[in-house]
Amino acid sequence: MIRIQYFPSPQPAVALLARGLAIVLALVCAGLLLAASGAAPLTLASQVIKSTFGSSFGLEDVGLLVTPLILTGLSVSIALKIGAWNIGAEGQFYAGALAATGVGLFIPGPTIVILPLMFVAGVLGGVIWILIPTLARAYTNVSELITTLLLNFVGTLLAYYVSTGPWLDPGGHALGTTARVRHDVPELWGTIHWGLPLAILLTIIVTVLLNFTRWGYQVRVAGSNPQAAKYAGMPFRRHLITVMLLSGAIAGIAGMLEIAGTVHRLQGGISNNFGYLGIMVAVLARGSALGVLAGAALMAVILNSGIILQTQGLNTSTVLAITGLILFFTAIGDELAHYRVVRTEPATA
Amino acid sequence: MEIIAGLLQTSILAGGVLALAALGEVLAERVGVVNLGVEGLMALGAITGIATVITTGSPALGFIGALGIGLSVGMIFASATVILRANQVLCGLALTLMGTGLAATIGKAYSGMPAPATFAPVAIPYLSEIPLIGHAVFTQNILVYLIYIILPVVLHFIMFRTQHGLNLRAVGENPAAADAAGIPVQKFRFWYVAAGSSLASGAGAYLTLAFVPSWSEGVVAGRGWIAVALVIFAGYRPVNAVLAALLFGCITSLGFVGQARNWPIAAPILSMLPYLGTIALIIVPVLAWHRVRRLMAAPAALGEPYYRDVR
Repeated sequence: MIRIQYFPSPQPAVALLARGLAIVLALVCAGLLLAASGAAPLTLASQVIKSTFGSSFGLEDVGLLVTPLILTGLSVSIALKIGAWNIGAEGQFYAGALAATGVGLFIPGPTIVILPLMFVAGVLGGVIWILIPTLARAYTNVSELITTLLLNFVGTLLAYYVSTGPWLDPGGHALGTTARVRHDVPELWGTIHWGLPLAILLTIIVTVLLNFTRWGYQVRVAGSNPQAAKYAGMPFRRHLITVMLLSGAIAGIAGMLEIAGTVHRLQGGISNNFGYLGIMVAVLARGSALGVLAGAALMAVILNSGIILQTQGLNTSTVLAITGLILFFTAIGDELAHYRVVRTEPATA
Repeated sequence: MEIIAGLLQTSILAGGVLALAALGEVLAERVGVVNLGVEGLMALGAITGIATVITTGSPALGFIGALGIGLSVGMIFASATVILRANQVLCGLALTLMGTGLAATIGKAYSGMPAPATFAPVAIPYLSEIPLIGHAVFTQNILVYLIYIILPVVLHFIMFRTQHGLNLRAVGENPAAADAAGIPVQKFRFWYVAAGSSLASGAGAYLTLAFVPSWSEGVVAGRGWIAVALVIFAGYRPVNAVLAALLFGCITSLGFVGQARNWPIAAPILSMLPYLGTIALIIVPVLAWHRVRRLMAAPAALGEPYYRDVR
C-alpha cells in the first residue's frame, strides 16, 4: 500500500527542489498576471535578461543592489537563529542611513577619519532603532515582530522629515534630499564600491561566529529550543539581546553603505524596500551564509528587473508583489517537503 | 468645547478603520491562526473600493466588493495555512507584500482621484441633538454604527454566550481536545480566517470610501499592523478591540488637529504618533500589571498548525 506521511524533518534534496519549484511557480504566476493585464511577459523577460546580463552596466546595477540585500538578509537571518523576527530591518536601515548622513554632513575632517565614524554611526543608528523592541521582547515578552515593524514607519517618516526639513540641501540643487555627503566608500569595479566585499566579509564573520564558537553554539541551541537552553544554564536573555542588537547593527550598516557608497544623499525613498526584501533573502537562505549571498543575488536581479521595466508601467511595488508571491509559494513548498510517499505493508486482517 | 467635540468626531471616524480590521483579526486569532496579512488585505480592499465606486458610483457596491475580495484572498490564505499548514508568519508576510504591491500597481491608474460618492454622515434623529457630544457621535456614516455597535455586540454574544462560540474558542485553545470532542477544527479555522480577512479588506474600503476618501500609494500606512497590535492590547476580545481602536482614533486625530491648528510640530513628526502610541500601549500595560498577562493571554494554540495524525 502506498500512503503519504508527514515527517518532522524534510529531506534536504526535496526541500531544495521545493524551493526551486516555488520560485519558478511564482515567476510563472507573475508572468500570467502580467499577460492578463496586456503585457508580453516573454518580451519583458528577454529585455530584462539582455539589460541585466548583457552589459557591464546591468551587472553593476545588480552589484549595487546586492550589497544592502546581503546585509538586510543577514540581519533578519541572524535574528531568526535565536527565534526572533526582525521585521524592522527597513527602519534600522533608515536609522543607520540617517545617523551616517548626520556625521558625514556635520563633522568636519578628512574622509579617512569620517568614513569610519559614519560606519560607527550607522551601527549605533541600527542598534538604537531595535533597542526598545529588544528590551520589550527580553523582559516583557512583547512580540518583537510587531514592534520592529511599527518602527519602520517611524524611521521612514523621520528620514523624510529630516531630508525635506532641517537637513534640506541648502544649495537647493535637488528637491527633498540633503546635501551631498562628501565622503565616499572607494569604488572597486565600475560603480560597485567596497561595500560589497565588506558585506560578504561580514556574512562570513557572522557565520564563523555562529558555527565555530561556544557563543554561536549556545545561540543556536537557544533558537531551536529555549527551554532546553535555559535548563542547561545558558543565559538565554543575554544571548537574545546580543543577537537582536547585532541584527539591528547590521541593518544599520546597510543604510550607512547606501549613503556613503551609492546614493550619497539622504532622501525619502532611499531604501527601495531593502528591509522587507531582506526577510525574503533570510527565508530563502534557511540560515546558511551561502544561502544569504544566493538569496540576495536572486532578489537583486528581481529588484533590478522591476527598475528596468519601469518604462513598461512596472515599479518597485510590482517587485514587492512578486516577492510576496515567491514567499507564499516558498512557505507552502517548505511545508510540503515534509511529506514523503511511503510504502507500507498491507495490514493482515 | 467645540475642539473636543470635533476631536471626538474625527476619532470615531479614524478609529473605525482600525476597529473593523481588528475585529477581523480577533476572529482569526481566536481560532488559533495569526493573520499577518491584514495590511495587504486592507490595501486590496482599499483599491477595490475606490475602483468600484469610480466605475459604478456606488460606495455600497465598493464596500461589498472589498468584502468579497477579502473573502476570496482569505480563502487562499486559509488554504495555505490551515489546510496545507504552511508557516503562518511567512504566509502572512507574503500576503502583506503581495497585497500592498498589487494594490499599488493597480492603483497607479486611480491615484489622486477622489471618490465620486462616499458613505455620507447620517444624523440619527433625536440622539444627534444631544448637547455637546450628540452631533459628534450620532452624525456619522452608517458603517460607523455597524463597526462600533452591531458587529462587536454580535461577535461578543456569539463568542461568549453560545455553544458555537465555546467551540470556536476551544479550537484556538486546544485543537486536539476540540477535535476529540467532535468539533471540526479545520473547518472552523478555515472559515473564521476567511471571514476575518473579509473584514480586513472591508476596513480598507472604509478607508477609501468613508475616511480619506481617495487612493494614494501607501494610503493604508501601517494601519493593518496597528490593528494586529490592537488585538493583543485588547486581549482578543471584540468589544475591547473596538474601544482600543477608538483610543487609537484619538491619537490619530490629535495629529490632524495639530496640523490643522498649526502646532509648531512638523507634520511627519505628528504622523509618527499612532506608531509610537501603539508600541507604548502594547508594552506599558504588561510592565505595569503582571496580572494582565494571564487575564489577556493569547489563545494557547495561537500560531500552531493542527496535525491530527502527528500526536
